[in-house]
Amino acid sequence: MRSSRLHWMRGRTEEGPGEARTVEWIGWDETGRAVARVVRLQGPLFEGWRLYRAVALDPDGRVVELRPTPPEGADWLACIGGRVVGRAALPLQAVRTAEAALG
Amino acid sequence: MPGTPLEKIRNIGITAHIDAGKTTTTERILYYTGMSYKIGEVHEGTTTTDYMDQERERGITITSAAVTCEWQGYRINIIDTPGHIDFNIEVNRSLRVLDGAIFIIEGVAGVQPQSETNWRLADRYNVPRIIFINKLDRTGADFFRATATLKEKLDIVALPLQLPIGIEDKFQGVVDLVEMKGVIWEGGELGAKYHDAPIPAELAEQAREYRQLLLDTALSVDDAAMEEYFEKGNVALATLKRCIKAGTISGAFRPVLCGTAFKNKGVQPLLDAVVDYLPSPIDVPGIKVAALEGEDEGAQAERRVIKADPKAPFAGLAFKIINDKYGTLTFVRVYAGTLRSGDTVLNTTKGHRERIGRMFQMHADKRAEIKEVSAGDIVAFVGLKDTATGDTLAVAGDPVVLERMAFPVPVIDISVEPRTKDAVEKMTLGLQKLAAEDPSLRLRTDPESGQTILSGMGELHLEIIIDRLKREYGVEADIGEPQVAYRETISRAHTETYTHKKQSGGAGQYAEVKVLFEPVERNGGIVFENKVVGGTVPKEYIPAVEKGIRAQADTGVLAGFPTVDFRYTLLDGKYHDVDSSALAFEIAAKACFREGMKKAAPIILEPIMDVEVTTPQDHVGDVVGDLSRRRGLIQSQESSGSTIIVRAHVPLKEMFGYISDLRSMTKGRASFTMQFHHYDPVPRAIADEIMAKSA
Repeated sequence: MRSSRLHWMRGRTEEGPGEARTVEWIGWDETGRAVARVVRLQGPLFEGWRLYRAVALDPDGRVVELRPTPPEGADWLACIGGRVVGRAALPLQAVRTAEAALG
Repeated sequence: MPGTPLEKIRNIGITAHIDAGKTTTTERILYYTGMSYKIGEVHEGTTTTDYMDQERERGITITSAAVTCEWQGYRINIIDTPGHIDFNIEVNRSLRVLDGAIFIIEGVAGVQPQSETNWRLADRYNVPRIIFINKLDRTGADFFRATATLKEKLDIVALPLQLPIGIEDKFQGVVDLVEMKGVIWEGGELGAKYHDAPIPAELAEQAREYRQLLLDTALSVDDAAMEEYFEKGNVALATLKRCIKAGTISGAFRPVLCGTAFKNKGVQPLLDAVVDYLPSPIDVPGIKVAALEGEDEGAQAERRVIKADPKAPFAGLAFKIINDKYGTLTFVRVYAGTLRSGDTVLNTTKGHRERIGRMFQMHADKRAEIKEVSAGDIVAFVGLKDTATGDTLAVAGDPVVLERMAFPVPVIDISVEPRTKDAVEKMTLGLQKLAAEDPSLRLRTDPESGQTILSGMGELHLEIIIDRLKREYGVEADIGEPQVAYRETISRAHTETYTHKKQSGGAGQYAEVKVLFEPVERNGGIVFENKVVGGTVPKEYIPAVEKGIRAQADTGVLAGFPTVDFRYTLLDGKYHDVDSSALAFEIAAKACFREGMKKAAPIILEPIMDVEVTTPQDHVGDVVGDLSRRRGLIQSQESSGSTIIVRAHVPLKEMFGYISDLRSMTKGRASFTMQFHHYDPVPRAIADEIMAKSA
């Protein structure tokens, strides 16, 4: 029995030393529409000559979150559409946050 | 279990603050794994790993002891380490060669200073670890508060794998969050009997909450496990265990278990966790070879890694030396290859050959001879002539040098004199052997008084050494008052030129050196740079300049203490075709140091200790006032149940005899621990006092 309302599948991965890790999980509804996503904060990134440490990207890879420092215990963003609906320390928690926001 | 496959070997250490229950836990492990037929007790002086007379008399661990046991078909090599800060070298060298560790945290006090120090050491060596919150039967024990201190003081993600069932005198067992069941100890049979039980109804909600936290945290390290969870709403036990092991090894989180070793509850699941979650020698990345001379230590990514492989060329690290009635035992962690007794290896640190005599598997002070050792083993060799702690043994065909070990700096000196004149030689020999065993013990002769000076980590450390000198080497010695191991340094740059000239009659001596002396940051050591151009000081004399200054730095210009934390740059010089020699340049360098240092604003540094006093609330005012009078700077005051923990930085000089003052101040209800924190300049008035004493 599935624990979640949506079908969650791997999205973007982060290449690096060792195994590539998923930095984005996409939640699909029964009609096959991507309705939610959880995204790991990334960075550091230079933007306008400033260094930002907390960076999350939207489905097209555009920056949706930019901060000088990451908020404490909020490495993952729960997004519905292009909107950030919550944050969580861990991806499974962010998944629950996103599903809760769907009502 | 000779011939155990590598994946079924666990090399682990048990470490904690003093009196948190390391040796007590080790004793239970040996009993439940069938290695001992009865449980020894620290307070009775009957434990296996505390085998030295001093350990049994004092009820503390002084030296780390290696034991081997078997659990569920796995071989577990355990090193039980001391908790007292004076013997921290034992923790240091053990963590250096282990693949994993159990950190025992006291259930009442939570993380204590020595736990923090050892934790940082384990960080330095990237040792995967699991945490055991012990003593949950004690009054005031609180699993959740102790777990919270892990986050507060160690800044880690602490992941409970268990919750306690009952607490203090009602502690009966644990909720196993991995298998979602209760485990209850039945009492009697010394804790060997326990059974599974349903999770108590009053804990069901809390268990569900913590199980979810466990899944959220553990699965986040493995994408395939996340997919399994999304698909099935749960994960297989094997998947969850795989994730916990991966997170433990990477350090993404630290699993937390609990129990009370003294009351024989919780130790068997701890052993299961060692097998399930701590790495085998092939699960860890391997050991890096040492940086080459002049190479940046930070450029680690580029360095070669030696992986555990019995078929690879042999490589091992000597991490401990013991001298006993049978000779010198050298403890070695074998990282790669296979070796048989009678083989010859190369000590690649020193560049000479060593023949392996006999080889032993150690069980505390007992030994079992073995004929072959291979990757992953921790063994002792007999017959090595000149191998010290930190040396690498390898084969001539692949003479690697493994990463070196860092040793702590001694902070206390005492003078030692034998009671009878004819014991001088015996005492020197004994102390040399003890210093060879213990890299945190230094031995030197005071050039002015001719006295033998022992430098160590604290009063207890030196007391034990003097006791061992008497018991093991039959030397009765008188000791002086403990002295603070001051250091000297400089506070501004100065360039000095010195000419050494002796050209009247016979073979002459001529050397001139121009040296820039500069301060470097604290713990920067002594750094030499050669900026001579055009051969004004011939190449062959440069080592003599370096040697001369380093030798002279042992005797500082203010009060004769070793001079540290400065850079000296040889800028220029002059030589004479006939009269110059290495000796002349060494003499010139020494004199240049003496003159130059005086003009570089020399200062005296003193060791500052991190002191933690645990006191009942009604005495906190007295304790804080007294620490301030001792030139202490209060860092924090925290309440822990009915007691207050006061933390302060206090000069070591002011801490001699503190225990008796604290006892009388608090009617014996307070206790304290201290460890070295940093060196700071001494105030002017005290510097004058020190200089007057040394004059």
